[in-house]
Amino acid sequence: MLAPRRLLTLLLQNPTSAASLFLVLFALAIAILAPFLGLPDPGQMAAKPYLPPGGEHWLGTDNFGRDVLSRVIWGTRVALLVAVGSAALSILVGVIAGSLAGYYGGWLDSVLSRTFDVFLLIPTFFLVLLIVALFGSSLTLVMIAIALTAWPRSARIMRSQVLSLKSRVYVQAALASGASSSQTIVKHIVPNGIGPIITDGTILMGLAILTEAGLSFLGLGDQNSVSWGRMIFEGQRQLRLAPWISIAPGVAMLILVASLNLLGDGINHALNPQMRSRGGAPRRRPTAAPPADESPRPVSPIIEVDNLRLTYSVGTRRIHAVDGVSFTLPRGASLGIVGESGCGKSSLGSALLQTIPNNADFTGGTVRFDGQSILRDGKPVSERGRLRIQALRWSRISTIFQSSMNALNPVTTIRKQMVAAYRLHRPKAGDAEATARVAEVFDLIGIPRHRMNAYPHQLSGGMRQRTMIALSLILEPDLVIADEPTTALDMLIQDQILAEIDKLRRRLNLTLILVSHDMGAVAETCEMVAVMYAGRIVEMAPTAVIFGNPSHPYTRALIDALPSLRGPMKTLATLPGEAFQPTETIVGCRFAPRCRHATDLCRTEAPPSVALSSGHTAECHYARAFAAEPLREHA
Amino acid sequence: MRLRRYFIHRLLQVLPVALIIIVINFLLIHLAPGDVSILLAGEDADPAYMAAVRERYGLDKSFFDQLIAYLGQILQGDLGISYRTREPVFDVLMERVPATLLLAGTSLVIAAVLGTWIGTAIARRPGSLADTVVATFSISLFSIPVFWLGLMLILFFAVQLRWLPSSGMISIGGPRDGFARIMDIVWHMILPVAALSTVWLGQYIRLARTSVAEVLSESYVTTARSIGFSEPYVLFHHGLRNALLPIVTVLGLELGLLLTGAVLTETVFSWPGLGRLIYEAILARDTPIIMGAFIVMSFTVMLASLATDIAYAALDPRVSL
Repeated sequence: MLAPRRLLTLLLQNPTSAASLFLVLFALAIAILAPFLGLPDPGQMAAKPYLPPGGEHWLGTDNFGRDVLSRVIWGTRVALLVAVGSAALSILVGVIAGSLAGYYGGWLDSVLSRTFDVFLLIPTFFLVLLIVALFGSSLTLVMIAIALTAWPRSARIMRSQVLSLKSRVYVQAALASGASSSQTIVKHIVPNGIGPIITDGTILMGLAILTEAGLSFLGLGDQNSVSWGRMIFEGQRQLRLAPWISIAPGVAMLILVASLNLLGDGINHALNPQMRSRGGAPRRRPTAAPPADESPRPVSPIIEVDNLRLTYSVGTRRIHAVDGVSFTLPRGASLGIVGESGCGKSSLGSALLQTIPNNADFTGGTVRFDGQSILRDGKPVSERGRLRIQALRWSRISTIFQSSMNALNPVTTIRKQMVAAYRLHRPKAGDAEATARVAEVFDLIGIPRHRMNAYPHQLSGGMRQRTMIALSLILEPDLVIADEPTTALDMLIQDQILAEIDKLRRRLNLTLILVSHDMGAVAETCEMVAVMYAGRIVEMAPTAVIFGNPSHPYTRALIDALPSLRGPMKTLATLPGEAFQPTETIVGCRFAPRCRHATDLCRTEAPPSVALSSGHTAECHYARAFAAEPLREHA
Repeated sequence: MRLRRYFIHRLLQVLPVALIIIVINFLLIHLAPGDVSILLAGEDADPAYMAAVRERYGLDKSFFDQLIAYLGQILQGDLGISYRTREPVFDVLMERVPATLLLAGTSLVIAAVLGTWIGTAIARRPGSLADTVVATFSISLFSIPVFWLGLMLILFFAVQLRWLPSSGMISIGGPRDGFARIMDIVWHMILPVAALSTVWLGQYIRLARTSVAEVLSESYVTTARSIGFSEPYVLFHHGLRNALLPIVTVLGLELGLLLTGAVLTETVFSWPGLGRLIYEAILARDTPIIMGAFIVMSFTVMLASLATDIAYAALDPRVSL
């Protein structure tokens, strides 16, 4: 929950929210001040009837000679009274019922929740209409009737708030220290859970105004009060002769209800800022032409990455997630990229496929795939109006995503999704041919063929992950980028899947880039390991060398943190501090703040890339010294 | 098979709601000030009719027996007798249903299709200027009191420009059959449909925009893009297909709100549907009709919610019992 002051600042920053807040406050002010504005009595039939707007009567007079402006302003009172009254009443009842249901749970919850559901199915307006028709019309009754049909809205929101708050530490602490349940609800739960209810309250107020106006328009309004609905009801008979009688109250109502709804929307966005910018199509980025001197070199290496940079914009902050990464891979090689979460390894994976989010930008770097330039100086290479990467996607470069989340479309069968992918790149293939190919890769991965007709949710986690692998192989790509392919699975399945990936790579002569936070997984599967820290590859070497001769203190810390099955029992080493996100220019070594061995040199001067042996480099001032010193416990 | 079992299950959940609605109706009429027999038979009913009404509802029996009798009647489709026309309420209501269905159905289709289309298009650029403008616009649309919008349309297109008729469903003395009659009805429908669909349009734009944007941030969309599917394919095969789920749900939940708009619009345009009937019943204090309308509207909303649940289950293979 945001502090009110902070919320207000956020609202005022948004022109729409600021304007609607101003209009609501303005309506509130004139509603309160109506008797002191020196307006003619709204009921007084003093002036000439049917006077058009202008002169003494700004908005004209009605068929009885009453001043329309005065009636509209007095109508604001009625509208806001109904709005505040019914919203307050329904929030009060809703908060109590919702808190009880959420807090006590059990049978009370099921009875109350069922009641909310029933009430939500009742068409509000018709119930209110029936109540007013049977009981006679008064403003109080209208408010009660609206609240009676609206409280389940607030109750449902409160219930889910309470359910999530109940488990919070401070609530548990209050209970443990001996506070009674009712005290806990009133003191801790209600104040913290009420945010979304207030948001919904503004929408409820708009709804209440429209309901009251609708009733008045049907002739069921309070006879004794000047409401906008009633003015329109009376004005419609004079529509041809004096349209201003019905225009003015409608405009007033539209402005107030729209302001309330926009204000609710604004508060909602201020409370959940990520809501506004989620999703969306990839935006267009500037492209580059292929280099003039490019000659097709269908030889090794398969992929060359040079000084790649990727920057995220979050608010005003710029995070350099990939900060100058270079490596080359020969065809058929396997490279593991390891590091803590947030080190930029996944961003590197999506940068290679150019599927980066909209708030990310390439800020430099070159990528060549099979001799062909696909990224030049931070710009995707485009040829004859088409991005080069688009032609490579899936048919030559594919990915294996982590399948714990919805990596496959949940509403279509696996076969349909795989057939669609195959036929996208093999337009001449028919359905039968594509299905045969799906069966082939299923055999390859060891999934029973009939499972292809299943929906993603019908498969186990391990099976889903195998399906993702099958999908990545369906077009026989040259390069497969696997992004945390086993993170969501249990240990046994993890090992199986990694072994299968490794077997397939050798059999199909694939090049594999395995992105993982797990040193162990990478050790089993990859010939080469690159260790990433804060956007850079700090050490890269053949797997045996990395484990035998780690030459960067960060690599050594990662290996120290690995549990060992052999040797004496020991406490696992942990690395102090947090992986930091490189937001500004870094002075010195980026690992220095967490490094036990850091010296003044490390804090002032960026380390060079030190070549230690064939294929082994490390970015540390003392790389040679570390290389000479064996790791203590692991031997 | 899966759907049939689901349908039966949901039906069993909905039936108690029907019961509760009837009980609410019964309680309201007994709590209301004044004699129940006068409420049901009208203030100046002749003694013979009054006696017939007392007999029919068992008003001399105990409260509980009355409730049972009332429940039995409603479940048999007997909603009482209109005291204005002395016809069965059920027949009077059913006579008006087609006109309401025509008006509400047409407006709903227009609003849902157009709104979903605009919302889907705008979901591609969340946070952009166009997005902000459309969001503000759609919120303003559903803040318009529909009956007032109707009046304004009449004022402009019927009174000022004299382009379109302002009330009724057919011209007096107009064509009685064939294509000409259909065109006559279409002609009369334009303004009320415009009013109703304008107000509903806002809801659908908003709903589609939110749902599609939500889906576009899912990882299967990233998968589809990595596979190389074009953006329109991703938008419609993945985005809209998955976003239809919340759209359908809200469609069912908000039907009550939609019917409210229809009733008010009919009143403005003298459209001979349920809304107009309710208005006339209010003026004539014809309580049985108002009660009957409440029951029919509630049951419609209930059945619509049931139908959307089934549609949801058909659209989403993950739904199971």
